[in-house]
Amino acid sequence: MKVTLLGFMKKEFAQLLRDKRMRIILFIMPVIQLMLFGFALSNEVKNIRLAAVFPLSDRISHEVLSKAFGSGWFKPARTTSTRDPSEWIRADQADVVLVAPPEGITQALQRGNARIQLLIDAKNVVRAQQIEGYLTAILQTTALDFIPVAAAPQGGVVFETRVLYNPELITSYFMVPGVMSMILCVITVIMTSMAIAREREVGTFEMLIAAPISIREILLGKTVPYIALGMLDAPVIILFATAVFGVPLRGSLLLLLLLTFVFVCTTVAVGTLISTISKTQQQAMLGGFIFLLPAVLFSGLMFPIENMPIYMRVFGYCNPLYYYNSAVRNIMLKGGDPSAVLVNVLILAAFAAGLIWISAKRFRLTLG
Amino acid sequence: MKWQMKWSRIIAVLRKEVFHILRDPFTLALALALPLILVLVFGLAIEFNIRELRMAVHDGDRTYQSRGLTEVLGSSGYFKLTNEVSPVAAMGALEGERAKAALIIEKNFGKQLGSEQVARAQVLLDGSDNSTVGLILGYLNGVQKIAEHKFLPEVASSNLEIRTKYLFNGELNSRWFTVPGLLAIVIAILSILLTSLTIAREWENGSMELLLSTPIRPLEIVIGKLVPYLVLGLGAATFVYLLARLGFGVPFRGSHFVLIPGVLLFITAYLTQGLLISVITRRQQLAMQLSMMTGLLPSILLSGFIFPIENMPPFFQVFTSILPAKWFIQISRGTFLSGSGFAELATPFLALFVLNGVLIMLATKNFKKDLEP
Repeated sequence: MKVTLLGFMKKEFAQLLRDKRMRIILFIMPVIQLMLFGFALSNEVKNIRLAAVFPLSDRISHEVLSKAFGSGWFKPARTTSTRDPSEWIRADQADVVLVAPPEGITQALQRGNARIQLLIDAKNVVRAQQIEGYLTAILQTTALDFIPVAAAPQGGVVFETRVLYNPELITSYFMVPGVMSMILCVITVIMTSMAIAREREVGTFEMLIAAPISIREILLGKTVPYIALGMLDAPVIILFATAVFGVPLRGSLLLLLLLTFVFVCTTVAVGTLISTISKTQQQAMLGGFIFLLPAVLFSGLMFPIENMPIYMRVFGYCNPLYYYNSAVRNIMLKGGDPSAVLVNVLILAAFAAGLIWISAKRFRLTLG
Repeated sequence: MKWQMKWSRIIAVLRKEVFHILRDPFTLALALALPLILVLVFGLAIEFNIRELRMAVHDGDRTYQSRGLTEVLGSSGYFKLTNEVSPVAAMGALEGERAKAALIIEKNFGKQLGSEQVARAQVLLDGSDNSTVGLILGYLNGVQKIAEHKFLPEVASSNLEIRTKYLFNGELNSRWFTVPGLLAIVIAILSILLTSLTIAREWENGSMELLLSTPIRPLEIVIGKLVPYLVLGLGAATFVYLLARLGFGVPFRGSHFVLIPGVLLFITAYLTQGLLISVITRRQQLAMQLSMMTGLLPSILLSGFIFPIENMPPFFQVFTSILPAKWFIQISRGTFLSGSGFAELATPFLALFVLNGVLIMLATKNFKKDLEP
C-alpha cells in the first residue's frame, strides 16, 4: 500500500512541476505578488491635491498651505481659473479646496469667528474622511499659533494616543501577513480542485478506479502533494516578509508553521470538496472563486469585520481565512498571545477536521 | 481571397460556442453567481465607517468626570465599551484580540478637570490593524470636542469654525464608492477567466488543431469564440448597473453614451488579454493561475478599486497605468458620481484605446506564431 501511495504522490508532483512555467507560477509568482502588493498598497493618504481660495494678505492661509505642503500629505493642485471653486473638484483638478472667508482667516479671527469651508471630493469615502482630519488638524494648530497666548484655552481634555505593535503605522506590517494568507489560499484551493477535476475531465479517473489502489490512497495521493506545496511556499513567503519588508516576527516561527499547516489542510480540504461537485476544470475553478472571493473579503485583510452588520459578520466567523489572518498577525506583530492563538488554531483544526470528513465522504460518493 | 472573412463561418463557430456554454448550465450558473455574490457582499457587508469598535476601558478614577468621558465615548456609536479591572487587563484585551483600542483613565482625571488643568486620558490603539487606526484617530478628535464642551463649556468655544462639504457623495455612503468600481471587477472575472479557460481547453483537448485544419481562418475562430463572452460580459455589466441604481440607490449623474463605449472598450481589452493568456499557456490550470495573477488580483488591488492609486509609491502610480481596470474605474466612477463627460475622461479613454491596440497586436502575433509548424 505504501509503495502505490508513494508512486501516486510522485506522479502528482511530477505532473504538477513538469511544466517549467508552472514551477515559476507556483514559487516565483507568490514572491512577486507579495512584493507588488506589499510595496504598493498603503493606507496612508498621500498626494492630496489641495487648492485654496483666500485673499493674498491672509497670513494664516499662507501658513496653513506651507504646513500642508511641508507635511508630505498634500501637493498643490493645478487649477485653471474659474469663479466656482467646486468646479475644480468637478473637473478633477483638485481633491480638496479650502475656502477662507472673504476678508481672510487672520482678520476674521481678530474680529471674532472665522468660517472656513472645505470642499472635498468624496468619491472615495475613506480618503475623504482622512483628508478632512489632516486639514482640520493643520488649520487648528496654525490658528492657535496666531492667537495671543492669553486667549488660549486653559484646561481641557487631552487624549494621549499611543499606537501599539506598529507605532509608525507601516502599512506593510499589516498588509503582508494578510497577503500571505491570500496567496496560500489561492494556490492550494484552486490547484487542488482543478487537479482532481482534471482527472475527471480527461477521463483518467475511471482508470484510477480500475487500478489496484484504494479510494483512500487516491484521496491521499491527490491531496498530500498540495499540502506539501503550500508548506513549501509558506517559508518562502515568511522569509520575504521578514527580510524584504522588515515585518517583525515577534512570536514563535514553529507556532506560525504549525498554524499554517492546519490552515493549508483546511484549504486543501475545501479544494477537494469543490472538486467533488464539479465535472470540469472550468467548474472547479469557478467554484474555487465562489469560495475564495467572499473568503478574502470576509477575512479582515481589507475590511474590518467589526464594521459589518451583524447578520453579515456571521460569514466572517465561518471563514477559516479570518482565523488564520488574525492568528498570523497576532504571532508576527504581537508576539503571539497564547490563549488567542490557541483558540484560533483550535477553531481552524475543527474546520479542517470537519471539511476533511465531509470532502472524503463526498469523494467516495462521487467515485462510487 | 487572403483576408476575406466569411460571416457564415464566424457564425458557425459562434453557434458552436453558444451551444457549448448553454449545454453546460452549471458552469454558466457558477459564472453568474460570482458577480452576484460580489455585488451582494459589497452592497450589504462592506462598510468603511467604523461603528461599535471594541474598546477596553479601565476607569481608575471613578469620578463624575471619568464616567462622563466614558459615556461620551459610548454614546458616540463608534465604540462598544467593556470594563477592565486594571491597565494590565486592558492591555491584555488588545493582545488577546478582544479589543481594538483601550482607554485608560488615571486616578487624577476628575481632579485635574475640576482645577482647570489639562486632564489626560490614555488611549492605546492596535497598530496591527492599521486600516482602522486612522479613522479612530479622527473620531477621537470629535469625541474630545464633545467631552470638552460637556465639562468646560466656557473654555472650549473655539472661534475657528470649519465646515466640510463632501462633493459627489455627501453622506459618505460606502456603497456609492464600491459599487461603480465593482463593474470593473465583475467584467474582469467574466472576460479574462472564462475566455482564457475555454480557449485553453480547445488547445488542451487538441480540438484547436482540428479547428485550424478546417477552412476557417484563425481570425474567424477568435471572433466567433469571443463574441458570446462579450455578450455575457455586457449582460453582467447591465445586471450590476441595474442593481447599483435600483438596489443600492447609487446616482447616475453622467451620460450613458459615455459609459457604454467605456464598457465596450474595457471588455474587449480583457477578452483580448484572456485570449493572449490562453495562446501562451495552452493549459487550463496554467491559464487560470496566469489570469488570476495578471488579471483579477491586480484589478482588485492595484486599480484604485479599494486602495487609492494616489497613496502608492511613484513607481506604482506609473506601473498601474498598464491595467485597463484602472482607467475603466475612473470612467465608471466619473460617469456615476461626478457626471463627467468625454472632456474630463479623455485620458482614460485614450489609455484604453492604446491598451486595446497593444493587446490585440500581442495576441495576433502570438496566435500566428503558434500556427506555424
